[in-house]
Amino acid sequence: MTVILEIFLYLAAGSFYWWWTQNLAFFGLAPNFIFASALCAAILAGPVKAVAWGFFLGLYADMLGVSVFGGYALTYSLMAYIVYVIKRHFDMDGFFSQLVAALSLSWICMLFYQGLSLVFFRINPTGLKIFLTEPFLNALAVPAVFQVFYRLKRRTGIL
Amino acid sequence: MSREKDAANYAIVFFAVLSVLLLIFPASKITHTARMAASYSLYPSLHYGAKYGYFVRNVPSNFLALFETDQENRALKDKIKELEVKLLNASALVSERDRIAGEMRLSRTLPWTGSWARIVNKTPSDWYGSFFIDKGSEDGIGVNDTVLGMQEDRAGLAGRVFEVYSRFSKVLLVTNSAASAVCAIAPSGIEALVEGKGTRLLRVNYVPEQSALAEGAEITTASGGLLFPAGVPVGRVAKVYPRESFMNFITADVTPAVDVNTLKEVFVVRRNLPKEVSAAAGAGWSEGDLPAGRQAQYNEQVAADRR
Repeated sequence: MTVILEIFLYLAAGSFYWWWTQNLAFFGLAPNFIFASALCAAILAGPVKAVAWGFFLGLYADMLGVSVFGGYALTYSLMAYIVYVIKRHFDMDGFFSQLVAALSLSWICMLFYQGLSLVFFRINPTGLKIFLTEPFLNALAVPAVFQVFYRLKRRTGIL
Repeated sequence: MSREKDAANYAIVFFAVLSVLLLIFPASKITHTARMAASYSLYPSLHYGAKYGYFVRNVPSNFLALFETDQENRALKDKIKELEVKLLNASALVSERDRIAGEMRLSRTLPWTGSWARIVNKTPSDWYGSFFIDKGSEDGIGVNDTVLGMQEDRAGLAGRVFEVYSRFSKVLLVTNSAASAVCAIAPSGIEALVEGKGTRLLRVNYVPEQSALAEGAEITTASGGLLFPAGVPVGRVAKVYPRESFMNFITADVTPAVDVNTLKEVFVVRRNLPKEVSAAAGAGWSEGDLPAGRQAQYNEQVAADRR
């Protein structure tokens, strides 16, 4: 049952991000709900599941993108592992720690993804505008998504 | 804790290797083609704006050609629908025009080249002499163009263009006392001169006395005339007058083929006559003056009769 619910949550997170970018993007800017979902899953889930969630959410992001297929999968997998390491030392349930983690990991992910692009395809898919603003949007999105995931975990036992 | 850490390490290694394999493997083309096919089946549109080329750069050209052909096909179908609607509207307009033409007893199937014009002014003091039409030199109207009217779905001679201005013209009616036309009388086809009288009727003149001129005979413009195209109905013989004692010709009243009182629009036939003819006509020349030989013959006959 939890597996079905997790698949549903996975698809819902990806679809919601797609819908948001299609309808509510403001000057091409929108919070990256796939990133937020991957981060929240990494905070809440165990290490294996967290990395798997990062990988599959990354694949979803790769499907939405137009190049470097596998780049987001690697990025979010590594992010999940980093979060697993960090959360052993810090309390990631708090609002402030989530905000800081989202802000810093957003930039780290972007830089890493751009590095991958340069390494594999020598293209730069992320503009300066997105690089400067999206981490803040993600920082705002993560606590909200965390609450959704947390409640789902408490009620259904997923993650 | 150690087992969890090991599991995490195995997981990250496994998924990292998988990701790198995906990165190394040229999967972008396949992925984006599949994604495009899936999205196109849900929402058949290729409008990505200015980034279109960037979005489709990984999609094989033959696959893209299929999508673009489908888009073209859809656009053409829309165009066909639009044109079908326009065709239906056009058919309705043609039907309406035919109905109105029928109501007004107009015919549009004339064998001459020209254009339709509306009568815009009639002069009460010159009722059977002339009127103005709303077409002029800007519309290609020229001096001495033949003017036809429609009577019961048949064209008939109404007159000729006498004066041309930029946007209107003056028509000299066939009923004008200064107007005349060389005509042929059915069934023999003998030529005679039809002249206006300044009244509702015309007069046919110079008909040889031995001719069998019967009431009701149809008169059409003759090929011997220069101003008017041959074969245009002019009228029918209404009353034949007995020969005058001093003349070898007989005359008759002719009911015009077109009643100028009922005309609302006319058809102006392009004549493109030589400049010399137009110049002569502009100086008051009418077709009555044209058959110079016949005029001389008439004068000689009158003189002989008087002797």
